[in-house]
Amino acid sequence: MSEVRAPTTAEGGTIGAALRRWLVRPEAPALVFLAVLVVAFSLSSNEFLSGSNLESIIVSVAVLGTIALAVNQVILCGEIDISTGSMMGLCAVAAGAVATNTGGLILPLLAGVVVGALAGAVNGILVTLGRIPSIIVTLGMLYALRGVILLVTGGTWITGIPNETRILGTGSMLGIHYPVFVLLILFVVMELISRHSTWGRNVFAVGGNRRASRLAGLPIDRVRFLAFVLVGVFVGIAAVIYLGRAGSVQTNTGTGLELQVVAAVVIGGTSISGGRGSALAALTGAVLIGVILNGLILLGVPGIWQDAVLGALILLAVATDVLRRRLLGDKS
Amino acid sequence: MSAATAVLRRFKFSREMVLLGVLVVLMVVMSLLSPLFLTVGNLLNTSRFFVEVGLMALGMTLIIITGGIDLSVGSNLALVSVAVGFSFAAGLPLPLAIVFGLVVGLAAGLFNGLFITLLDLHPLVVTLGTFALFQGLAYGLSKAEAISDFPDWFAYFGQAYFLNVVPGQLFIFIMAVVVVWLILSRTRFGRYVYAIGNNEEAAHFSGVPVRKVKLALYSGIGLLVGMAAVIYTSRVYTARGDSGLGLELDVISAVVLGGASIYGGSGTIGGTVLGVLIIATLRNGLTLAGVPSTWIVFVLGVLLLVAVFLNEFFRRREE
Amino acid sequence: MSLSDDPGAEGAATVAEAPAIFRLQNVTKHFGGVTAVEGVDFDLRPGEVHALVGENGAGKSTLMKIVHGLYEPDKGTLDVGGEAVEFSSPRDAEDAGIAMIPQELDLFPDLSVTENLFVGRHRPRTRWGTLDRNAMRAEARERLRSLGVDLDVTTTVKRLSAANQQIVAIARALVGEAKAVVMDEPTASLTEREVQQLFRIISDLTSDGVGVVYISHRLDEIFTISDRITVLRDGHHITTAPANELDAEELVRLMVGRPLNELFTRSPHSSGEVALEVHGLSRAGEFEDVDLVVHQGEIVGLSGLVGAGRSEVAQCIFGIRSPESGEIRVDGEDVRIHSPQAAMERGIFYVPEERRSQGLILPFSIKNNITLSILDRISRFGFVPRAERQTADRFAKNLSIRGAQMSDPVSRLSGGNQQKVVLAKSLAREPSILLLDEPTRGIDVGAKSEIYRLIDELAKEGKAILLISSELEEVLSMSDRVVVMREGEITGEFGRSEANQEVVMTAATGGENRPASDGSGEEASEDE
Repeated sequence: MSEVRAPTTAEGGTIGAALRRWLVRPEAPALVFLAVLVVAFSLSSNEFLSGSNLESIIVSVAVLGTIALAVNQVILCGEIDISTGSMMGLCAVAAGAVATNTGGLILPLLAGVVVGALAGAVNGILVTLGRIPSIIVTLGMLYALRGVILLVTGGTWITGIPNETRILGTGSMLGIHYPVFVLLILFVVMELISRHSTWGRNVFAVGGNRRASRLAGLPIDRVRFLAFVLVGVFVGIAAVIYLGRAGSVQTNTGTGLELQVVAAVVIGGTSISGGRGSALAALTGAVLIGVILNGLILLGVPGIWQDAVLGALILLAVATDVLRRRLLGDKS
Repeated sequence: MSAATAVLRRFKFSREMVLLGVLVVLMVVMSLLSPLFLTVGNLLNTSRFFVEVGLMALGMTLIIITGGIDLSVGSNLALVSVAVGFSFAAGLPLPLAIVFGLVVGLAAGLFNGLFITLLDLHPLVVTLGTFALFQGLAYGLSKAEAISDFPDWFAYFGQAYFLNVVPGQLFIFIMAVVVVWLILSRTRFGRYVYAIGNNEEAAHFSGVPVRKVKLALYSGIGLLVGMAAVIYTSRVYTARGDSGLGLELDVISAVVLGGASIYGGSGTIGGTVLGVLIIATLRNGLTLAGVPSTWIVFVLGVLLLVAVFLNEFFRRREE
Repeated sequence: MSLSDDPGAEGAATVAEAPAIFRLQNVTKHFGGVTAVEGVDFDLRPGEVHALVGENGAGKSTLMKIVHGLYEPDKGTLDVGGEAVEFSSPRDAEDAGIAMIPQELDLFPDLSVTENLFVGRHRPRTRWGTLDRNAMRAEARERLRSLGVDLDVTTTVKRLSAANQQIVAIARALVGEAKAVVMDEPTASLTEREVQQLFRIISDLTSDGVGVVYISHRLDEIFTISDRITVLRDGHHITTAPANELDAEELVRLMVGRPLNELFTRSPHSSGEVALEVHGLSRAGEFEDVDLVVHQGEIVGLSGLVGAGRSEVAQCIFGIRSPESGEIRVDGEDVRIHSPQAAMERGIFYVPEERRSQGLILPFSIKNNITLSILDRISRFGFVPRAERQTADRFAKNLSIRGAQMSDPVSRLSGGNQQKVVLAKSLAREPSILLLDEPTRGIDVGAKSEIYRLIDELAKEGKAILLISSELEEVLSMSDRVVVMREGEITGEFGRSEANQEVVMTAATGGENRPASDGSGEEASEDE
């Protein structure tokens, strides 16, 4: 019988080996690429390296990065979620509606988070109990939620968001805008959850080796369900940031966002097949996308090429992942 | 088997009959929603739309049978449309521009196929990437403009009538249906497709050229998308970068409605054709009734979920 | 390998009186029509190493899967610590203190050592309720050190050597407070030194009162380390005895035990030209320096234990894997075979070992399965002709597939009939070289003899046949020559007259009396 032998390589203990171990981390290529791009862009454009430009990059990807941090978990446990664009629209509508009624920050935030969590729960139930592949569930939900937005708004925009609600998008402290803070705080939270909670560790196991997870008695369905709900929560938060920055909600808010989110996660180094990656990868990917898009603008490339660049990057990222694993002799 | 399932089985005879029944019911509902629905003119116009979706669904059926998927068909359509329109505007004679468009569609599909077979990547991820890439290329190359001044005869593809009554592209579609049906059910290629979808490893061990088959499938759908794009551009008489937005939902839903399992291994052309008809009827009927497109898309989204769920529900019951 | 001391004598006194950690009594398990184990007793005492031996298919892994909660016995009882239990999942078994380390290790290759130890287990927490990663790392380091190993516990497991991965698997069992650890072929990928290290670890475990079930084919290891040995054969319990009361020869005899009946009489025949020749074939981690020759009309039996690399060699010849070095020659011509299609074009066909996952498309009809490999030959302009039906009928008839219509899906057939369909498919291709991998596994006696008759006729027709089989009787009755592999290397080659159970088994298990083959003519020493 041909049985599977666990792949092996010799262990190292030298500095060279330590460097190699760092290079092998999932985020390494993205970080290196980011560094290279930053250098390249700052050489070709004077404005790039200015504090305000750099900060505006991070602000522009705050929404993207927030959602990417959560979708990262879904992808890590072996699933996918491409409904986040419509989800964000819906959460923005919910938060916006509450904001125009009651004002403040807490209630709209709560509304966004609750609506997001519910939508995420629907995704989660359809995937775990309905046993429908997550690509189909979230594809269907992508369109279904758009309809719900229309149902709720009747086609009218939501405008006149009060200033106190918009604080997450417009406010600043110590000269740094709030979106940056929110993103960084959520990043830290995600890192903590990912490393220091049982659920966080189980996500890696479920995505990395589902068979062994089953044998080890892990609650696979619960792990995945929570990942989808987490996406909803983070989308709710991102929606309030968006409200802050945009000041209004249209019926097509969030369209196309889902693709950028998946791109950010994959480009940052999380493996699309699950089990490998990190919160840092998602953050790096989001920042990388921001840097690339910003750099393209500074270089005068028309904005209509954005999607093409995004698509090419996704392909490049997954191809590199495969080739890198083959070269490293990874037979898994 | 529970009593409920036994009853359902007796009445189900075949999935095709159920679909036909649904189609009839749907047509009745639509005609109630709008008096314009059941006019000859409208029905023939609906058929134009479903030819475009139908051509792509034919290719998608085979891909889904093998357990794969192609999310990039809508974007590919936009790319071909732009290729045809803008090469024509740049001076290429229209017949050549059309051929160029078909080549672009084929090449795009081939691109997908190469990534999937050579790098052993999952079709989901690859076509997600090309979904963005092709869309972006379509936008970028067209600079968000549109081309509309085609010669009169170009309308033949999309708007002509054969014998003054039947739309021209219906014939193209019927021929395509016959060809693909023959391939799937009568040739060894079709046998290979089912084999790969049911047990790729055993197929490989039996000498089935798995890689070549997959490459052919993704290239083939590229060609079909090209054809659909030409017809579409002719019908709307404009080449734009945002053509075909969201069409992949219609195409995949049609195939799944038609009975193909999303996990691969089963599916028929007959089922797909009925699925396409149902979706086209839905779209057309609801549009006529004044329902906004977002709602229509909502219905399609829910329909997709329900269809997949029911497919797998009954499949698991049968085991 | 010398004994540092004799564990048998020292252990026997202390283990004799202790109550069993777990006990299987009169356990029987069927799978469909096949009986995997019947009426087997087995128990494990604290602090003992209890070896479980038997040929492939004797029932060892089934028995242990029952202990580990993967299967439920059809008859018989399992009790743990004196109390009857029913496990519905491996989790239950682990909670009861029974851990299993399978050959594939079941680790998470992308996670760190620490992570692997704690997946699914209770983890230490900090005051805030979060996981205490420092404590986890410290405990991981501690566990590994107690096993005598110093590893960087943050390394991802896939980067560790096979030996260290195994130690991680053992440590994982210990984190779960295991009282019994079942090890299945633990030394398969280890070097000499690593094996010694493993033995030391096992000895430490047992002095702590942990019981170890040691499943292995390596007789020398078994005698070094075990206190008691249980022999299974054909699903039955043959004997359980203290290790010091048996020796290797007797063990082999107990394992294979039946008098050699000729299951089948080969017809007189003569061999022709060399049809298939393999020279120096190697693939890292699977097999090395393999030479094989098969003549027309000859049946070469390829024997050996599970994991010896036989299927891998055959799959290389058939183009499913590619060799890293070596040559393949068909009818005297050097060939490079990149794919099954290329192999088929050269007249080679492989009947795979796993008929359900590799040999058949279960939802397909019998007809469609039979013709799958010849569609390119019978189709015209790509179309499958009506005559396909007759062609399939022809080949099915040769194999007398009973009780089913050609349009029935093969999933409904019995194992024997399914195998006949796979054979029909291979014969439809009319190959000149046939590679049969366990062609009669899991098949009833009646179907078996039909298949033997068929193989014999194929040889008479002049086909060159490589018969991979783990059933000794089968190999010995059918083959003109027997080649034995062990751990990726050829360890013996015997002509029909010299081949017998003992020499084949010892070549397969690496016992003494290894005959000189291919020039490596060292004689192993008489005592271990």
